[in-house]
Amino acid sequence: MTAVTGSQLVGDPVDRVDGPLKVRGAAPYPSDVRYPGMAYAALVQSTIAAGTISSIDTAEAEAAPGVLAVLTHENIPDLAEAPLTALGSPPRFPLQDDRIVHHGQHVALVVAGTSGQAAAAARLIRIGYQETPAILDIADPDAPVVTNPWGLESERGDVAAGLASADVVCDETFTIAAETNNPLGLFATVARWDGDRLVVHDSTQWPMMERRTLADVFGIPEDDVRVLVPYLGGAFGAGLRTWPHTILTALAARIVNRPVKLVLTRPQMFTSVGHRPETVQRVRLGATREGRLVALDHEGTSTIGTEEANLEPITMGTPSLYACPNVATHDRQVRLNIPNPGPMRAPGTAQGNFAIESALDELSYAVGVDPIELRLRNHAEVQPGSGLPWSSNALRECYLVGADRFGWAERSAEPRSMRDGTELVGYGMAGAAYHWYQTPCRVRISIGRDGTAHVRSAATDLGTGTYTVTTQLAAELLGLDVGRVRVEIGDSDLPPAPQSGGSGLMISLGNAVHDAAATMLQAFIDAVAGDEASPLRGRRPNEVAVHEGRIHLVADPSAGETYAEILARHGLDEITVDGEVQPQPPAGMAPAGAFAAHFVEVRVDEDLGLLRIARVVSAVDGGRILNEKTARSQITGATVMGIGMAMLEETVFDPSGRIANATFGDYLIPVNADVPTLDAVFVGEPDKSTPIGIKGLGEVGIVGVPAAIANAVHHATGRRIRSLPITMDRLL
Amino acid sequence: MEIMRSSDVDVELTINGHKRELRLDSSVTLLDALREHLDMTGTKKGCDQGACGACTVLLDGRRVVSCLVLAAQCGGREVTTIEGLAPDGALHPVQQAFVRHDGLQCGFCTAGQIVSAVALLDEGRTGSDEEIREFMSGNLCRCGAYPNILAAIREVAGTGGE
Ligand code: FES
Ligand code: FES
Repeated sequence: MTAVTGSQLVGDPVDRVDGPLKVRGAAPYPSDVRYPGMAYAALVQSTIAAGTISSIDTAEAEAAPGVLAVLTHENIPDLAEAPLTALGSPPRFPLQDDRIVHHGQHVALVVAGTSGQAAAAARLIRIGYQETPAILDIADPDAPVVTNPWGLESERGDVAAGLASADVVCDETFTIAAETNNPLGLFATVARWDGDRLVVHDSTQWPMMERRTLADVFGIPEDDVRVLVPYLGGAFGAGLRTWPHTILTALAARIVNRPVKLVLTRPQMFTSVGHRPETVQRVRLGATREGRLVALDHEGTSTIGTEEANLEPITMGTPSLYACPNVATHDRQVRLNIPNPGPMRAPGTAQGNFAIESALDELSYAVGVDPIELRLRNHAEVQPGSGLPWSSNALRECYLVGADRFGWAERSAEPRSMRDGTELVGYGMAGAAYHWYQTPCRVRISIGRDGTAHVRSAATDLGTGTYTVTTQLAAELLGLDVGRVRVEIGDSDLPPAPQSGGSGLMISLGNAVHDAAATMLQAFIDAVAGDEASPLRGRRPNEVAVHEGRIHLVADPSAGETYAEILARHGLDEITVDGEVQPQPPAGMAPAGAFAAHFVEVRVDEDLGLLRIARVVSAVDGGRILNEKTARSQITGATVMGIGMAMLEETVFDPSGRIANATFGDYLIPVNADVPTLDAVFVGEPDKSTPIGIKGLGEVGIVGVPAAIANAVHHATGRRIRSLPITMDRLL
Repeated sequence: MEIMRSSDVDVELTINGHKRELRLDSSVTLLDALREHLDMTGTKKGCDQGACGACTVLLDGRRVVSCLVLAAQCGGREVTTIEGLAPDGALHPVQQAFVRHDGLQCGFCTAGQIVSAVALLDEGRTGSDEEIREFMSGNLCRCGAYPNILAAIREVAGTGGE
């Protein structure tokens, strides 16, 4: 093995390595790609929510200036089924027949010489519909309900008996509005055929899945598809599927025999790439008078498209949250005529946490125990159910360190008891956990005669910092300066990597780099095995270390030579090795994801009902932190999205099934003035489940924020809001 | 509403100090002229509706959302884009501060944020954290880099803060 990773818990705050490129506007996003002779596409979407297309007249559009083709269900060739992915069955392909299952369903694609011509011609298509009644309400008794859709429902102990024996029972229902991911980058596809080979630049979080999907759909070998996404303008889960518009663009490129580019409009971003589904949850908590949990029953219901699948595991993490003997979970999905939901940052977990952590706050008032003390009393020292020790768990420290930084001790427990002039002041907190997730991953590393390393893998960087932390980790493990490592990702021709999703990429990619680095050191030692000139001859990896590109004996650092010297003497241009990791839950331990505690101060103007966030403190156990700066940005950025979820965001469907607020003018996300000082601190220790000790950080930062805000609102006003977003009308 | 029939026009734009002559449809926005006709893709499109700020450029030194400006209206005027803030290879102090303070994640809003910030500094709208937050609120960042954007601008403005 290579030297173990650094002993520091929190790694250097190295500047984002792709920062200089991005601040110059020079990072190429999929929407920036242009080929000579490229044509442009525009989508036409249905204006009804359910029914069939009775007529579609494309004559005028086809005759419009610059138009090259109009694709509809009537004229496109049959395409093969897209494959299953780790997230379940693929999106329904909308042009497979004349049926409409939601408002905003794609019904045609127009291809023309310029984007303006394509958009103008798209408005000339006349469509007749045969409308049927649409089901749009999660409470509609006619809506089909899927029970236990993922087989994840669980029960341990006897919840009914636990509730019956409890001194205190809280039984409440929580609702959360649908939200839309809305990455700032409009999703874009540029497709180009070179004979039977397809190159696609696409806004995807998962190049390998997309490669396989396009290969299957077009009936070509996977090796003949190349998916490129070196930079991506955010996605937050929206890029975890190969959407129909991507397939349509590739099809259009084949039909017009030119490269074709499609950029979704902002309104189309609401209907085409998923959204966080509306949810209803019922939580029943039973506890002793001292606040010890004896029963927890969690039922989660989310919306889903009529003919679609979506993994929205609201209750999945609940059994592991607290030491409670009797826990049951129930999952349901309600089928509606809506665009299919999809993952949005911490899918399911963010909603589940809001219900559980709000209910715990209610319990804290019911039994008169401080919210932090209540959580400490129910802390899961070992994984509940299995009884296994955690691979790491500093949730307790998150509560205590966070409380200290926040000044929780100054809080007076009574609601409406703190005030500043005309403003009511509220302090609220919530705990959070995100599950462990790891998948197979490969990486290839070369070290060349100039002494630099080239690291490559088909991973992506959504703004999460993949380029930067991979650079740092490789530099550390290979004994090189950060400036001598170059990371290349975002290309499906590179060694396969998993999606940026489930907070699982860095733990997978990082451990693959760890494996490759060990192989690299062995390869250099092998290269000098018979080399009398080398002071390293005949040594084993554990007898050497690498520092600034020079391998030396641990026992005698003066004896050694550089990578470059070895390569030069042996006439080698470079040494290239592969690294790989297969996920392996550690033996005898429960693999832990990240933990966090959030502390929020809100201010509520009593007369106007105006709510603002005054400050947030987050204490996070992310295991070993590779880069303090980018890790903090992950947490604070997710906190901002949590503020949006708590106070602003709501995708509104009108009675016809149309999304009524599908613009940035109408769908509000936090702006700079909505966001106060955000403090984030990292606690804990390197995680023991893998050699590099890290845990995923992409999602844990949003999970507990809405509950912490709602709990602070209750503390400020005495109003318990169980419905998000907490808008002004709910406070007046 | 019927779409008005549009026609080609000749425009001479001054972009980052260079004169560029273009023949384009009179309905083409400055944003599309930059991105599609001049292949200057540093300026981004996040909405095309004037609501996100990703397309912010300077027009005669004032910030505008280029998706709401027609290219044909810019004849004889000075356009400054993210590519024109610093000479080749160099970074403007605001660009440097964004890197140092991690004022970006995905980077898609970044060109607009930086151009806005440069204008804000020129306008003298950077006297306090509140003022910076308020005047930067036309530039959305879905990655939530706002506190770091604030820190970057505050540093260049030299207005203490915390
Ligand atoms: S693209 Fe111009 S404001 Fe959004
Ligand atoms: S950095 Fe991604 S939108 Fe601002």
